[in-house]
Amino acid sequence: MAARPGTPASPKNFKIQPPQPGQPLYGCEHVQRLFNQDQATTNTSIQHYKAILRNILDYSPINAQTAKAAEGVTVTASLTSTYLCLQCPSTLTEDDCVKHGNKKSHRFYVDSRSGALYCQMCDDIVWDPTFEDLRLTKMGTGSFTASRKRKQDDLLAVDPVKDNPQYISTNTTVASCKASGLRGIYNAGATCYQNVVLQSFLHNPVLRNFYLSDGHQSSNCEVPYCLSCAMDDMFQDFYAVENTNGYTAANILSGFWISEKKAFENLVTTKEQDAHEFFQFLAEELHERNGDGKKPETGSEHSCNCIIHQTFYGKLQSTTTCQNCSGVTNQVQSFLDLSLPLENLTQKKGKKNGNAKTPAMTLQECLDEEYIKSDKCEYRCHNCNSMQQARRQTAIKCLPNVLSIQLKRFEFKQGRNERAAKIETPVHFPLQLNMLPYTERARTGDTKENFELARACTYDLLSVVVHVGEIDTGHYVSYCRVGDQWFAFNDHKVELASKSDVLSAKAYLLFYIVRSLA
Amino acid sequence: MSSDADRTGKAGVIVAPDDASPIDKLAHSVLDDLLYNIVHDLLIKVHRDEKTARANTAAIKIEKMASEASETSTPDSRPDVRIETDSAIYEDGKVLLKGNPLKTTKDVLCPRCHLPRLLHPTDGKGAKKPDPGIIYCKKHPYIEKPGFDIYGQTWVAPGPGRGKKKKDMEKKLDPNDASSPAPGEGTAKDRPPNVLSFPSATCSKCKRCILVTRLNNHMGSCIGNSGRNASRAAAQKISNGGSNGGSQNNDNTPPGSQKGTPLPASRAASPRKRDGDEFDEDADESDPTNPKKKKLKPTTLTKKVILKTKGNPANKKDKVKGNSMLSVEQRADDDDSKDSTVQVAPKKSASKGGPSPTKKQKLVPVKPQLPFSAPKKVKRDHDVESESSGTLSSPPQ
Ligand SMILES: [Zn+2]
Ligand SMILES: [Zn+2]
Ligand SMILES: [Zn+2]
Ligand SMILES: [Zn+2]
Ligand SMILES: [Zn+2]
Ligand SMILES: [Zn+2]
Ligand SMILES: [Zn+2]
Repeated sequence: MAARPGTPASPKNFKIQPPQPGQPLYGCEHVQRLFNQDQATTNTSIQHYKAILRNILDYSPINAQTAKAAEGVTVTASLTSTYLCLQCPSTLTEDDCVKHGNKKSHRFYVDSRSGALYCQMCDDIVWDPTFEDLRLTKMGTGSFTASRKRKQDDLLAVDPVKDNPQYISTNTTVASCKASGLRGIYNAGATCYQNVVLQSFLHNPVLRNFYLSDGHQSSNCEVPYCLSCAMDDMFQDFYAVENTNGYTAANILSGFWISEKKAFENLVTTKEQDAHEFFQFLAEELHERNGDGKKPETGSEHSCNCIIHQTFYGKLQSTTTCQNCSGVTNQVQSFLDLSLPLENLTQKKGKKNGNAKTPAMTLQECLDEEYIKSDKCEYRCHNCNSMQQARRQTAIKCLPNVLSIQLKRFEFKQGRNERAAKIETPVHFPLQLNMLPYTERARTGDTKENFELARACTYDLLSVVVHVGEIDTGHYVSYCRVGDQWFAFNDHKVELASKSDVLSAKAYLLFYIVRSLA
Repeated sequence: MSSDADRTGKAGVIVAPDDASPIDKLAHSVLDDLLYNIVHDLLIKVHRDEKTARANTAAIKIEKMASEASETSTPDSRPDVRIETDSAIYEDGKVLLKGNPLKTTKDVLCPRCHLPRLLHPTDGKGAKKPDPGIIYCKKHPYIEKPGFDIYGQTWVAPGPGRGKKKKDMEKKLDPNDASSPAPGEGTAKDRPPNVLSFPSATCSKCKRCILVTRLNNHMGSCIGNSGRNASRAAAQKISNGGSNGGSQNNDNTPPGSQKGTPLPASRAASPRKRDGDEFDEDADESDPTNPKKKKLKPTTLTKKVILKTKGNPANKKDKVKGNSMLSVEQRADDDDSKDSTVQVAPKKSASKGGPSPTKKQKLVPVKPQLPFSAPKKVKRDHDVESESSGTLSSPPQ
């Protein structure tokens, strides 16, 4: 960093984390000693740690996975962890750590796969507040800059109140430890399609933090039957009230019945109630209660700062290239979710296999189809001033904080006898999703070795909405993650779920949250 | 071991046969390493959670001792004392670890309430009996037991009608069941505390108390009625009655006609007090004689995670809090004692912030351990407060 005029060009002095109540100051006695030697030792230790983390996270894994002692005697690449000495540039295998430690009296090593700090004198990994803060910041945002330090650890904390004491005000009671946000929602008569969407909102950290920090104050809102107020009340009841019984979403329901929205007609007057339509309905409704007042139009580029836009909305760019003059037209539009058709891919795969049973496909294959491959179309070219053949390709220009994906399992066949069919093809989806290949950046540039960018495009699965049974008589259930634990929500019933329960579900809606909320 | 070196990886679990080809051996060793990494990652995660919790526990304990040792200190300040335990040193307001907290500290204290965490579920898979002499943090490990939810709760199937419901429930319950039921009234006493029944909620339009499973159907016909026009009219009516209304509604409705719209509150203005043992009947929507009924759990209402501006009631939108606070039954839990059923006769109440004077409490005590506190946020019915004429005649924003 270049020294600005007026700033002394002296090396930066690093500070350790200030003491926090209910937390020791250092990870162990030995880290304590390290940090209490002198400022120079503290500086080099922290600088080294940062360099090691950069080495681990920003470069090809082969760097950190290759053990090379300072003398350059042995060079071993390994799939399992190596240990990077905090006090010199050596990278060691687990066995060589002891030798190195005895020879050089270097006692701290960084695990090459997690960045965790190992103390040889404790013979254990230590979780030091200062080093841990650096590690989490780096893992979360790919940067050490304090302004971007919105760690996911904070955001995804199981206990928002404890971790964000500013949510607790002076004249209110501290929420009970029992109020965990885990409650079922009673089925008010074929409302499971609403319940699953509500649960995914309730366990969405961005929305939760918004409502729990009084983003929409129902006490100050004048809108009658406001759905955002109903959400506010619901968040309060889930996270502040010591009640483990199911919730009755009567306010949501009456707000829904009274709403004037477009979705109203589809959802209320037909029998096919669709969780995806309800998601769109709720998102639009909440945007209108919190946003710029404009209707979120499909196909336009709508920039709004409301909580719903901040949470769910991203931008797509379609690039149309004229086959005659090679002229390029770009069109940008906002999206609330990505809708992935399954029909074509199912047929393609079915043909390849040649038998009736369609093989499973992956979410990434579906995304490839939509956001990597291009298709032919006709369009009116300005250059040629006529209709021309063109290639059109769509990629993601701006990724949202929470990515919602609909797997279009319901196909409405038009024709003589209109009917709806459900596609049962299993679609495998990952716990961790890399969206980089589907971005405009990846389309236009080489991003292969850009690990920082890849990390910025990494998403973690947050909730899954599943439709079980036939199209008319089916039922919706959902899975949501709180911290590392998954829960299965079936109306008023909440149960523990394993990762394999979640991953083997036939997903209809998927919600992914970006790992780095930078 | 050394002979295995080229046939397997670090975990040593996936071993290639002796006569395997080099590429086979490599594949085995790669797979084995990957398995090792998966276990390693899991271990690091668990290690971090556990060791941090123990280290923080050591800190909480010694901080508590320090603040007890110095009388002058307020809870927030850092007392100027030196204390040393097996697991930590308190000095100059700093907490320093002694040894490995995984070895020195055996229990885990809740960072919020500073009570010990229960480490095993009380029922189902991996259950252990908690020490009755210890008051634990209320956050318990979740229960994994077929037929029960994470809190060990289960539900009585909602009866199809009024008469049948009680009979069904009586049939289901074994009179010899030793799980001491609540000495309450109505059907509650026949049921173990972890068996819940479906609650009722108040329809925001007609104020009838509806069993939750019928709420959507009811609102469909009550608010949505027959098709789009009727529902639009209903929406108009209700939103006008509430307050100045949404922009869309008022844009095309002259203020005069709004005033003329009859408020659906007329019936709601005369609440009826009912006895607790009648509430199962109330759950039936076919009973129009009980338009209003609310059952509130008092202590739960006091909790508010965040600051809500109080007072200024004229500005406030009245809300129907039609949620599980209305539940007919509350679960009795061994550490959660506030299982009283409180009825609130919703009436126009002048002070929104304070405890409602119209509140009628009917206590069905189970094991009262903690004092009740008055609800901070008193829920009232939507149409009770009449801000109608004044607000409505003023032009909508
Ligand atoms: Zn070294
Ligand atoms: Zn140590
Ligand atoms: Zn509102
Ligand atoms: Zn918006
Ligand atoms: Zn052209
Ligand atoms: Zn606690
Ligand atoms: Zn009604």
